[in-house]
Amino acid sequence: MRKVVCRCEDLSEEDIIHAIELGFKDIESLKRFTGAMTGPCQGKGCMMHILRILSQKTGKSVEEIGVTTQRQPVNPVPLYILSGDEK
Amino acid sequence: MKVAVIGGGISGLGVAYFLAKLGAEVEVFEQKYLLYGASGRNSGGITAQFMDKELIEMALRTMKLYEKLQSEIKFNFLLRKGGYLKLSDNPRELEKEVEYQKSAGLKVKFLSPEDVKEIFPDINTNAFKAASYFKDGAVIFPWPVIWGLAKGCRELGVKIYDWTPAEVVSETEVKVKNEVKKYDVIVNAAGAWSAEINNKLGIKNDLRVVKEEICVTESLRPYIDPYIIHSNGLYLSQSMRGEIVGGIVGKAGEKSLDSSLDFLVKYAKLATKLVPKLRGLSILRQWSGVYDETKNGKPNFGFTGKVFQLNGFGKNGMSLALAYAEKASKEIMKS
Ligand SMILES: Cc1cc2nc3c(=O)[nH]c(=O)nc-3n(C[C@H](O)[C@H](O)[C@H](O)COP(=O)(O)OP(=O)(O)OC[C@H]3O[C@@H](n4cnc5c(N)ncnc54)[C@H](O)[C@@H]3O)c2cc1C
Repeated sequence: MRKVVCRCEDLSEEDIIHAIELGFKDIESLKRFTGAMTGPCQGKGCMMHILRILSQKTGKSVEEIGVTTQRQPVNPVPLYILSGDEK
Repeated sequence: MKVAVIGGGISGLGVAYFLAKLGAEVEVFEQKYLLYGASGRNSGGITAQFMDKELIEMALRTMKLYEKLQSEIKFNFLLRKGGYLKLSDNPRELEKEVEYQKSAGLKVKFLSPEDVKEIFPDINTNAFKAASYFKDGAVIFPWPVIWGLAKGCRELGVKIYDWTPAEVVSETEVKVKNEVKKYDVIVNAAGAWSAEINNKLGIKNDLRVVKEEICVTESLRPYIDPYIIHSNGLYLSQSMRGEIVGGIVGKAGEKSLDSSLDFLVKYAKLATKLVPKLRGLSILRQWSGVYDETKNGKPNFGFTGKVFQLNGFGKNGMSLALAYAEKASKEIMKS
């Protein structure tokens, strides 16, 4: 069975493990190599799974791994709202 | 020949790759993760529309090198050739620019707003007065460029140390994790941090740091072909993943990596004026980057003592750095 970890970018647990085995062992590199946490959910759905896999594979605790930079905005905002033009 | 490269961006990894191919023993130091610098934060617009013969030649060479390295390293850089459009509110100035570039042999066209509408139907023809179109321009996704170069480097025996800040203590010595290592040549490819390294060694330079903010929307089906940049500073393009990546050309002075709401509001105004149909699209995330630029717009390039300068690429490093890295590798091997 294929365990999907990141639905936005369609990444399975094997994809993440493969990337870690290639040497992308810190959360910032792993994010930028796989694209995980950069899709529409911005990590809200997948980050905890990824931290768990990374922790299991590297033997580091979730605290040691840390979380990746949380980019603004927290929820997607349409351009017409930002531009103040709500016509 | 033993070389230390400070900086794991496109310049540093580029020169490491070419040096290794020529047989040098190379170590690359990156203070954080690869992609921490401007090379991991940019919009990937690739052009040769410059006002200098050398820059035009180097940009054309860089475009060839992307294709060559993609197949040499067997890594897809997600290069999409959809042209590069420079829009301007000052048609006379732009026309002069196009004339110069044509005389330098570049295939550029001077276009009216109506002509641009044929290339991109959703553009608001009232939002600019003229355009310069470079058909061979492209958009590249910077992340695979860096991962690909790093892979190519490692396969040639280059040692890449990430999460390893390097302190250049003399023209031939680097202090890493409390150990001083000696090299024949040190390459300063530290992007926005290059001036700090030079200052410490007493090497003069006119580098200044620019901060630039950028953001990305949710994905759409691919429909914007060219990379578009306006004389008011706005730029936007569509990546191979379908997101609209866009920003506003930065200003010198600040060196933080903070993101501001002011930027988002300004971007939203300029972007929806230029392409009104984008107004319903949502911004997914924003970030910022810093780069180093020189006064004359050309990179800071060449030997200063035993230190080789490969920095000052400003807002055009993705379009220029590979050719300069290749040239640097030859000059270093001759030294
Ligand atoms: C928002 C934005 C949009 C852009 N858009 C475009 C575009 O569309 N087209 C284009 O051509 N260019 C663009 N650029 C410019 C381009 O990104 C840069 O010119 C280019 O990436 C510079 O590459 P570099 O390798 O010289 O520097 P960097 O990529 O910044 O790499 C330097 C590296 O050195 C490391 N470093 C510094 N000091 C040390 C030290 N002491 N020890 C170890 N490591 C150190 C840093 O951490 C950094 O990773 C843009 C830039 C930004 C910020």
